[in-house]
Amino acid sequence: MVRLLLLLVTIGGGVLQSTVVAVAGLGGITPDVPLILTVLIALRYGPESGCLAGFVAGLMQDATGGGLVGVQALTKGMAGFGMGLLVGRFWVSNPLVQVPGLVLLSVVEGVGRFLLLQMFHYPAAFGDLMLHVILPQALFNGFIGTLCILAEAGVELMRRRSWS
Amino acid sequence: MRFRRYGILLAVLLVSLLLLTVQTRGGGTGRAGELVAIAVTPVQSLLVRIHRGALGFWANYIDWKAARRENTVLRGENEQLRVMSLQAGEAREENARLRRLLALKSRLPLATLAGEVIGREAGGWVRSLTVNRGRGDGIAQQTPVIVPDGLVGRVVQVHRGAAVIQLLNDPASTVGAVVLRTRTAGLVEGDAGGTVRFKFMARDGSSVAPGDLVVTSGLGTLFPKGLPVGRVVKIEDKGSALFHFAVLAPAVDFSRVEEVLLLTGQTPQDLAALFPTDG
Repeated sequence: MVRLLLLLVTIGGGVLQSTVVAVAGLGGITPDVPLILTVLIALRYGPESGCLAGFVAGLMQDATGGGLVGVQALTKGMAGFGMGLLVGRFWVSNPLVQVPGLVLLSVVEGVGRFLLLQMFHYPAAFGDLMLHVILPQALFNGFIGTLCILAEAGVELMRRRSWS
Repeated sequence: MRFRRYGILLAVLLVSLLLLTVQTRGGGTGRAGELVAIAVTPVQSLLVRIHRGALGFWANYIDWKAARRENTVLRGENEQLRVMSLQAGEAREENARLRRLLALKSRLPLATLAGEVIGREAGGWVRSLTVNRGRGDGIAQQTPVIVPDGLVGRVVQVHRGAAVIQLLNDPASTVGAVVLRTRTAGLVEGDAGGTVRFKFMARDGSSVAPGDLVVTSGLGTLFPKGLPVGRVVKIEDKGSALFHFAVLAPAVDFSRVEEVLLLTGQTPQDLAALFPTDG
């Protein structure tokens, strides 16, 4: 049941990214919703789920985005796995760590994707890419991630109140 | 547990690299690319459909929101324009009425005072209008009240800033009048039904006919001579009775009177020529 839910969330995130998010960007910058979901899943369910969610989400983005299929599947899968591994080792349940962590992970994922694409002679310059795509998107991810974490905390609070 | 964990990572790595490799081998196309396409195309098609559907849905939602906002704005504007149009129509009609009243005031050879109707009583027991002129304006009881179409009635109560006018169709109203064409004299009376009747002596009124205009007689000092009262609609012949009655259509539509002229002066002159007499 949980796996099905995770799959639905992952696919939903991919659809959201290619539909609503694609339209609702700011100044041509859009958040990477599948990456945010991957991180949230990894934080909650561990490295395996994070890795698989990242892989599926990335594969979908690759498939719908028109690039090389497998690039984002690989980087997001690794990002999900890496974030999942941090659970229990660092204090990642604290939102003050989660949000900067998400921003940092977005940057790392972007750099990783660039490096991977270099193997396939990707033409864009790293500086431009960092300035115009990776960093703004990482900050946007941090903003959306904050909202998601706040929403999750709100839901959790309501659930606790209803139980007590 | 740890092996499973790293096994998944390894599988993801391998599959991704395999996908990348088969796509880029031999210039990026060929059998490997086709293989990827075979696996990916259905998913892609499905996602594109979902994408388009969701985009269409989103666009429809945006359009709908915009249309709703526009609709609200337009409804507000429409409401405002309707109110403005009504106000403009009202002002136009009032302007026309006041122009007619002013024209009549300037034609009349006696002192008059314009008044605005501020109240009505039409229950049947009493039929009256209240105007915003009273004792403070020099209005006295029995002051005749007219409009450009003819006689409205007389003042029966005077207050400090208002006066009550008894209408011609009030059951207690009587006005001395003559038929303009035949000069047949009689009394115009109101009745409880709201109609106005002209009571005349049978021996004098044989030639009174429907359509005849009845005007004030000017006998006595109350009403000036020649103010239109009404037009004969039908004759009620009582056979050998001393008096006959003519049912009149009042010259004035009392329900539409908004402004009036109160005749504060007197004149012996016949005023019939100053009013419309052609019907």
